Amino acid sequence: MDIAVNAPATAAKKRAIQWNTLLIYIVFVVIFLFFSITLHDKGFLQPGNLMNIARQTAMISIMAVGMTFVLSAAEIDLSFCAIVALSAVTVALLLPHGMIVAVGAALLVGAFCGLVNGLFVSKVGIPSFLVTLGTAGIITGITRWITELQTIPVDNETFAFIFGSGDLGPISVLFVWMVAIAVLGHVLLRKTRFGKEVLASGGNKISAMYSGIQVNRIKLYVLVLNAVLAALAGILYAGRLQSARYTLGENDLMMVIAAVIIGGTSLFGGKGTVAGTMVGALIMGMVNNGLVLMGLNIDQQLIFRGVIIIFSVTLTMGHLRKKH
Amino acid sequence: MQTTPLAIKATGLKKQFDGTPVLKGVDFELAAGEVHAIVGQNGAGKSTLMKIINGLYQPDEGRIELFGQPVHFATPRDAREGGIAMVYQDLSLVDSMSVAENIFMANWAESHFGLLDQRGMNLQAQELLEQMGIADEIEPTQPVATLSMGQQQFLEIAKAIAQKARILILDEPTASLSNQEIARLFTLIEHLKAQGVAIIYITHYLRDIFKICDSITVLRDGRCVRRVRTADTRIEALLADMLGHHADSSVEWVRPTPAPGMEPLLELRALSTRQLDAVSLRVYPGQVVGLAGLLGSGRTEILNAIFGLDPILSGEVLVNGQPVQIRSPRDAIEQGINLVPEDRREQGLVLDFSVMDNLLMSSLRDLAAPVLLDEQRGQRIAADLIQRLQIKTSGPQQTVRFLSGGNQQKVVIGKCMSASARVLLLDDPTFGIDLAAKLEVMRIVNNYAAAGNAVIFVSSEYGEIASFCDATYIVNRGRITGQMQRHEQSEEQLLAAVQ
Repeated sequence: MDIAVNAPATAAKKRAIQWNTLLIYIVFVVIFLFFSITLHDKGFLQPGNLMNIARQTAMISIMAVGMTFVLSAAEIDLSFCAIVALSAVTVALLLPHGMIVAVGAALLVGAFCGLVNGLFVSKVGIPSFLVTLGTAGIITGITRWITELQTIPVDNETFAFIFGSGDLGPISVLFVWMVAIAVLGHVLLRKTRFGKEVLASGGNKISAMYSGIQVNRIKLYVLVLNAVLAALAGILYAGRLQSARYTLGENDLMMVIAAVIIGGTSLFGGKGTVAGTMVGALIMGMVNNGLVLMGLNIDQQLIFRGVIIIFSVTLTMGHLRKKH
Repeated sequence: MQTTPLAIKATGLKKQFDGTPVLKGVDFELAAGEVHAIVGQNGAGKSTLMKIINGLYQPDEGRIELFGQPVHFATPRDAREGGIAMVYQDLSLVDSMSVAENIFMANWAESHFGLLDQRGMNLQAQELLEQMGIADEIEPTQPVATLSMGQQQFLEIAKAIAQKARILILDEPTASLSNQEIARLFTLIEHLKAQGVAIIYITHYLRDIFKICDSITVLRDGRCVRRVRTADTRIEALLADMLGHHADSSVEWVRPTPAPGMEPLLELRALSTRQLDAVSLRVYPGQVVGLAGLLGSGRTEILNAIFGLDPILSGEVLVNGQPVQIRSPRDAIEQGINLVPEDRREQGLVLDFSVMDNLLMSSLRDLAAPVLLDEQRGQRIAADLIQRLQIKTSGPQQTVRFLSGGNQQKVVIGKCMSASARVLLLDDPTFGIDLAAKLEVMRIVNNYAAAGNAVIFVSSEYGEIASFCDATYIVNRGRITGQMQRHEQSEEQLLAAVQ
């Protein structure tokens, strides 16, 4: 009886959900077509420009992969932008001691920041929102202090080639980094025990705990993973710009979180895909590129970007709004 | 004879949900200034009747009069304005605010300019607490967080009185109180009664009724089967009324008795936690052991202690004769113990996960091979469980949220079985699922036990325990107070024993 009564509603709900997951791809195609037509004479569709979009999207999408794990576990990290700058500065300062040392140190610095975040969240029990709001300030302060607000130049050609500036034929190394991280992230979230435990912890932490999952440890791991990926993004910024500055990453917070949410990851945990995140990040990259080609100045770009983010999230989060 | 009109006179109340009648024409009368108990088994219609009186549901048929006036409540707010207040089991107080602020939450005393009149509020609260005779232990300015459970209950009642309630509904008021607090509650009830407040008292603790209630209404299967003065009846008569002569739908569950000298699969030796006092019990392979007790008796706490949810203060847990250390559910699962929790939606499932992901949630460790999950094996295990447990689903990928209650429960049980558990703890696994699903759940558990595993079975339906379990321990206020073997246990005896 129960089943019979619920059946039609169930089917309708299921359709609504599938429709929602499809919507993001439709949004992607619509924005792509819009720019292709309006910006045709400005060369939006030129292969060079498309690779440009990929180059501009790489760092955003790498950070967004990490954020997908964090949000899937129903946590948040506001400190990753600060970690981007600290890691970029670390690698730039240490490059004279060798590339491997510098890159290793930058990744370790990132991991350490994530560990601090994670320990406060899992051992002390402070919400990640507050912990990372605090550490964001601390990390930015440290970065400004050690660089004395100066830009640190990078003059190691090999480093710059591998981590951002190089091209393999027509393909930018940044594109290779982006694809590699996306594939690894996808496998980790979908095909491993860790990924399932992340989603379970975010979906219902009590049930996860009753199922023998160590929820606190999962929280710690996702914050470390996110911080390491932010550090990698920082290294790539340093390689691409061939310099590092304390301001790196400071505008990425909105774009990264928007990319993940547009990509279908729930702000409340339990739902998330790396594939969706990548599409979300590409939408953000495309919008940035299109707005520049349109000839808008920085102020106008900020306004437009905000409008487009709210518009896309409104479309793709329909099911969340109705739930409560 | 009747000089004043009845506080409540309800006649011919009917209510059905999705075509299932829950109330089949109930008459109910509450005199002004009396304490009136409502008793009945789970599903007898008590809570539906209360929700109608409280304005949460509207009856399909029938009428209600309050003090002689016909009323129709569309919302709980209407009922409150009509003078009815319900004190729920889980209290609805704001911990961080003061006693006075909580009392006046619904109707703030405002002074000029719309500012709160804090001092006036405290004075009024003080006056009210004095009237109720509890001013010596509760201060108006005290934060609610500093009150004991019993004092919070008093405060809930004070809140209701402040809202001019003339009819008070108390739902299981003693479930979380100490003996001392219960005595104080009864004094307070007497006090309110003397002031002319009519009280509906709902409880499973039948002995309390004989201490405090003037009359009793017994509900069974959606009908009022008896209305009687407390002085004119006895507990045995009440039990007989509650149970009735229901058709025996129980199936014979026969299991071989454990061989003498056999090692228990699970044993507790004088286990104590914050809620338990020296609990000892034994479960042999192939056995289903029942825990019978009222809500709040400690039956759930025993399962929680075994599963590593509540810290063990003293005593031992032995698996296969070996003492084990269990500090978390993870430890328990590694020892082969798994729990089907009381609240399947909040504690057992991730509702937005698929059937398969839920089924495998406890056994991800076994499936990691070594980095990637062995998806094919996972699919085989899930398909096997869906078939073996006859989970009705459109497929392993269906979202669990959309399954019926009975099928959701089977998914939780399947999850526990997939983690190669040898001991299964079931906390009221048949609660809130229909009869057919109940029998299926019991069949699944029976087969599981027959394979040489051990089961501890908690249920609020004593008939179920009596027919299903090989032995039953009686739990009362955190202790084991008795033990019955299969041939000794009947629904009536269990119901009497848990009091």
